[in-house]
Formats: sequence, C-alpha cells, structure tokens
Amino acid sequence: MSEDNNDKIIIQSQSSESISGGGSGSTTDIDYVRPAEVGDQDLYHGHSFITKWVFCQDAKVIGVQYFLLATFTGIIGLILSWLMRLQLGFPELASFMTAEHYYQFVTMHGMIMVVYFLTALFLGGFGNFLIPLMVGARDMVFPYLNMVSFWMFFIAVVVLLASFFVPGGPTGSGWTLYPPQSILEGTPGSGMGILLMCLSLILFVAGFTMGGLNYLITVLQARTRGMTLMRMPLTVWGIFTATVLAMLAFPALLVGSLMMSLDKILGTSFFMPTILQAGEVLEYGGGSPILFQHLFWFFGHPEVYIVALPAFGIISDLISVHSRKNIFGYRMMVWAIVVIGGLSFFVWAHHMYVSGMNPWFGFFFATTTLIIAVPTAMKVYNWVLTLWRGNIRLNTVMLWCLGFIVTFVNGGITGIFLGNVTVDVPLSDTYFVIAHFHMVMGIAPLMVIMGAVYHWFPLVTGRMLSEKLGKWHFWFTFLGAYSIYFPMHYLGFIGVPRRYFEMYDSPYVTSAVGMNEFISTAAFIVGAAQFILIYNIIKSLKTGKPAGKNPWQANSLEWLTPSVPPEHGNWGDRLPVVHRWPYDYSVPGAKEDFITQTTPPSDVTNSEVEKT
Amino acid sequence: MSNLLKKLFGTLLQKPWETERAAIDNAHEGKTFNISVQKSAVIIIFGIATVLFSLIFTSYLYTLPPDQDTNYLLRPNLLWLNTLVLFFVTYFFSKITNDLKKKETLKVKRNLLIVGGLSYLFLFGQVIFWFQLMKSGNYVSTNSYFSNFYVFTALHGLHLLGGLFFWGKVSSKVLKSDQNKILEEEKSISALSLYWTYLLIVWLMFFLMIYIFNDAVIAWCKSLIT
Repeated sequence: MSEDNNDKIIIQSQSSESISGGGSGSTTDIDYVRPAEVGDQDLYHGHSFITKWVFCQDAKVIGVQYFLLATFTGIIGLILSWLMRLQLGFPELASFMTAEHYYQFVTMHGMIMVVYFLTALFLGGFGNFLIPLMVGARDMVFPYLNMVSFWMFFIAVVVLLASFFVPGGPTGSGWTLYPPQSILEGTPGSGMGILLMCLSLILFVAGFTMGGLNYLITVLQARTRGMTLMRMPLTVWGIFTATVLAMLAFPALLVGSLMMSLDKILGTSFFMPTILQAGEVLEYGGGSPILFQHLFWFFGHPEVYIVALPAFGIISDLISVHSRKNIFGYRMMVWAIVVIGGLSFFVWAHHMYVSGMNPWFGFFFATTTLIIAVPTAMKVYNWVLTLWRGNIRLNTVMLWCLGFIVTFVNGGITGIFLGNVTVDVPLSDTYFVIAHFHMVMGIAPLMVIMGAVYHWFPLVTGRMLSEKLGKWHFWFTFLGAYSIYFPMHYLGFIGVPRRYFEMYDSPYVTSAVGMNEFISTAAFIVGAAQFILIYNIIKSLKTGKPAGKNPWQANSLEWLTPSVPPEHGNWGDRLPVVHRWPYDYSVPGAKEDFITQTTPPSDVTNSEVEKT
Repeated sequence: MSNLLKKLFGTLLQKPWETERAAIDNAHEGKTFNISVQKSAVIIIFGIATVLFSLIFTSYLYTLPPDQDTNYLLRPNLLWLNTLVLFFVTYFFSKITNDLKKKETLKVKRNLLIVGGLSYLFLFGQVIFWFQLMKSGNYVSTNSYFSNFYVFTALHGLHLLGGLFFWGKVSSKVLKSDQNKILEEEKSISALSLYWTYLLIVWLMFFLMIYIFNDAVIAWCKSLIT
C-alpha cells in the first residue's frame, strides 16, 4: 500500500490541548494527562463490499469473520458428536456407520472443537474484536497481517474439511494423531487424510502466529494514554497471556506435524521405530513415537489454558459488570493468569503417564499439575467473592457466568483426581477422562462464550438479544450438559473404555447400555438447543431492541466509542484517555453505580474509590 | 534482563485503584517498551523461532542412535564457507547501522544491496550443499542425523527467506528515496539488522550442537558414568 493511495485516510493525531485537562503540563492538576507524543495510526478504509467485508483490515470485522467461521466448524464438530452418540446409544439406527467412520468422527470432532472452534473463537474472534477497543487503539498494529491471518485460518479449515472428500477419508487416529499408528496402513485416513490434517495444522499455526503477533504488540505497545497494563480489563490479560502461551506452544505442534508429514511422504524416521506392517519389515528405523507424544503434549497442555485463560478473563469482566461490584482481588487475578500460564508448560507429561516414564518424572509432573490448582482455585474464590453482596442482575449473561463457575469447579476437581499418577492409571482411557475434559474445557468455556455473546452482541450489532430465548437456551444447555457428562463419570468408574466403537460382549454392557441411551438422547437435545441462539441472533438482528450506548452500564472502553456499533478506527477523531481501572462499580459517593474508565477525577470528586 | 524482570514485577505489584497510583498512571503514555513496533515484532518472532529451533535441536538429541556417523558435517565442506558468508552479512549490517548514524546514505544503499546479495549467496550455498549430500548418498531419509540436518536447514532457509521478503520491501523504499526518507527507515533497518544477527546465532547454535553432540563426546560422557 503506497502512501498516495486514495483509500488511505490518515487520521490526524490529536493535540494535547483538545483533551480535558491536558496540555497544562502541571502534575498538580488532578485530570492531567500526558500530551500525545506519537502520530496516530493510519488505516486502510475499504470502500467496496470486497474490501469492507471480505478482505477487510478492520480488526472488528476480522473478529466477526473468525467468530462465524469458528462457529461453522463448531457446528460440524457438533454434528460429528451426534453421529458418535447415535452409534453409542442407538447402534441399530446407525447401520450406515462402520468402525472406521466412528474413529474418523472421533478424531475430527476432537481436533475441530479444540483447535478450530475454541482456540479460533477465543483468540481470533474475541481477541480481534475486543483488544483494540479495550486498550483504546484504533486497530491492531499490523492490520494487513491481521487480515492475512484470518485467510490462512480459512484455508486451514478448507484443507481440513477437504480430508472428508479424499480417498480413505479423514484421519481416524484419534485427535492426538499418535504415530506410528496414524501413518500406517490399517488406520482410517492413513494416506491423504493424515497429510491434510498435518498441512491444515501447519497453516493454522502460521496464520495464528500472524494474528498473535498483532495481539501481543497491540497490547504492549499501542494502548491509549493512561492505559497502564494494570488498568487493562482481565479479558485483555486473559487473551494476552493465552497468546503468549500459543506463540510458545504452537511451534511444537508445527514441528510435530511437519516431521510426521516427512515420515509419511519422504520416509524419514523422526517418530518411526523399526516396525512391521502385515508381516513385512518397513524401511523405517531409529525414530521415537514417544518424541511425538512429548511434542504433541508440549502443545496440547498449554492448549487447555490457551482456551481457559481468555475464558477466565472474560468471565471475570462479565461477573463484575453484572453484579455491579469491582472484581475481587484484581491483582491476584492477574497474577493467577500469569502463574497458570507459566506452570502450564511444566505439566504436559501428565497426559503420558500410561506411556511409561521414570517414576520420578511421574512424581514431578503430578506435583506441578496439582500446584496449578492453587492459582486456579484463587480465581474461583475471587469470582464467588465478587458476587458476594453484589447487586446481582440475574439476567442471561449472569446465568451463563454462574453455570460456568459450577461446571468449571466440577471439571477442575476431577482434574485433580487425574493429576495423580496412581488414580490416573486405572482411569486412563475411560469415560471418566472424557467427562473431565468435556466439563473443564468443553462446556465451561462454551458457557463463557455464550455469556460473552449475550454480553457483547449489543456492541457488535447495536441490538439486544432476546432475554427470554436466552434463558431457555441456558437451561437446556446447562441441564443437558450435566445429563451428558455426569453419567460419564460413572461409566468411567466401571471401566468403560473411550474410543470403542461398540461394547461387544463386555461385562459393561448391562449397566452401560441404558446410560448410553440416556446420554445420547441428552446430547441430541443439547445440540439442538444451540440453534435457539442462532434463531435468537437472526431474530434480534431484525427485530431486537436497539441497544443504544452502553446498555449494561459498563466501565471498560469498548462501550465508550462515539458510535454503536463502533466504526472503523473506533474512536472518531479523538482517542480516549484513561483515568482509572475498569472496575469502579457501586463506588460510595458516586452519582451512578459505575464510573467509566474515561471519567476524569474532577467529575467524581466526592467518590471514595479505594473503599469499593 | 534484570531490568525487564524488575519492570514486570513492578507492574504486577501496582494497585490501580489507589488515588496516589492513579495520579502516576494518568501520566502513562500507553507504551510498555520504548522501542518501535517493528522491533517489537522482530523480538517476538525471535521468541517463537527460538522455541521452534529448540524443539528441532531436542528432536535431534532425542532421536540420534549411536550407530550414526555424527562427524560427517564437521569435515571440511561448503557448510563452513556458508557460515562465513552469514558472518559477513552480520558484519555489513553493523556497517549499515554506523552509516545511518553518520548519515552516509549512499553507503547505506550499497551495503543493503550487499547484505541481500550475500544472503541469497548463503541460500544458494545451502542448496548446493544439499545436492552434494544427496550425491554422496545421504538423503533426508538416510538416518535421523541427516533428517534433522535437512529439516533444520530448510526451516532456517525459510526463516531467512522471510527476512529477505522484508529486506526487499525496505530496500526498494531506500533505493528510491533521498537522504531524509532513508533516515526515516532507520527503525525498519535496525529491525532487519537484529533479525540477521539472530539468524547467525541460531546457525552457530546448530553448528555448536552438532559439534558437541557427536559420537566422540557421547563416548566420553558414557565413560564418565560407567
């Protein structure tokens, strides 16, 4: 883009005199703000439909694009889970499904939900939409790169879905893609399927790196005046730390995918030991399958927190806004996010207890795993203490928040079980594990996503979602999710193994059959209930109540843009100036129960902020 | 590093809700570090690349069976010459930095062309060495020693090509510009210089690793514990 491009509009940097109280240079002035020292960001404004909505450089549009594409892949993941549950609950109705199909559905469901749905939605969707708005920037620092990031994600999804249509179908090796099984004949999709999966992951990582670079630099270097790191909403802290984790963990996935592709295509032996296939000795030799497991879980465990940390941040803000209380222990919440992020790199081998390891390693990883429970529990206490004696608005957003806390505690506690080697070994590869991780990193983050959708939909579209439909959506999902995953804990305890196409004549049949039917029925209902949200969105876009400015009476910057929905550049001709943190709710002495981040001290001289 | 840690912990200990703290925070300019966004990007890319290359190094150490000839790459060959070329690139980048300080823009232009040319020469040398290896019967699938070498050099080459893409963008601007405009590109040139220094460091780390972790050293280590 050349500078003489007519489409480029340079927004003039504001003068310090135009800011309330600024320009005097006197530090005794309570509203003093530093004069603007750097030029404003120049932005590319699209004029055609293509440059405005397709190849768009506006982070908000890119956020919505990420959101929609991630939701689309999520719906595919949901349909795959229905097919799996049909086979498990009512195999007589699933005669079209072979064992190979089942393994392929399991694999694709897992990978889609973890990487292409949750990660893309939290970081790509919420990250893009919220970071520039919440830190008071006009856009991401590298808007063009940001656009390329989305389209790389798009290509990654196309490549992934293309594997359904190649000979042999998609890979059926389980979402962990463990070699040597994944690339040897006999495993579904061991030809093109696994190669397309690896290629798609490589594209995803490359695309995400471009986006992540933007998130990090925008948060670190492009905040508005007065916005210190410790004045940022916890949502930004969560997304920021998760991005750091992703930038450090995704290279492991990239290296693993690349090396496995080379093992398959060029006959290298990174992960392949000397091995027989159908009685014939293959040319592989000298490689280590365990190396892939290390690489995969060095990515895989931080991945849990790549999903969880943005969820932690978002839920903190939602709880604070809708209970009209400042977040309890803000600093502790930030520390917990950072500590959890750091510790998440030292626990990966707890996924490999059954692969065999030196007992001291098992001891080390069990210890680090259990230590993570400390900062995590601190966060849960702080959410509850934020609610304590708050002026709680029991709306749809709050219901999702409460649902999240309960579900997260539930899934977290079973995680403490599984973190112990001696408990994990007998429970490994059973439905107990399925129940644990679906509770903690499936349903719990999903509840945050739903809460966030109901909270920020008015900002994105300018209209409110229907509360009535929202509450139906919540109760169906909440009760339904518990109907699915509570019984799975029991199935795990009686030893029902995961990833089995059918139970054959095993001793589990009698007690598991009825339960599987019940779980499957609940899964169909919960899945269908998600279409209530889609209906609500479509209906509200047309006939929803106009939201107006700041409908939740929130403090953070995203609600303080001159127009709703915010236009490209976010802030009109003047960037906001921040005077406080975003949690001044119900401050004694203040006229209203919220003081926005841009309210200068002289406007609230009678309030006693520190006593909130 | 200690300053960075002090800054980090100092930040995390702030109490943003206190009136005294608010007065300090209000005067904050919004930036965390006093460096350009280009340089910030390069530093973050270093972080990612360091993890990536460390994982490849780990894989090399993890999958190296004792029956492989781990001295092959250390014998006199084109690899040493390529390493020398990479040293020259870094040297010329340091000259560019000095030229920018002295505002000698003609030299900046000339040396920018030299670093680009030398970088392409390095890549060309690496490809030639690949062909030499293959001619001697050492393919990517021969054993894990060579598999890792090919993968590492390919990724290092891609990393360099990424740098050359941005070198092309900056150079085309610089070559067309007059003195003042060139000086405006200082931030981008300094980011490029940092990028190439990093490429050299990674390359030297790789060299050091294959030098240290070879059969003779493994045998010596084993003799210590047996």
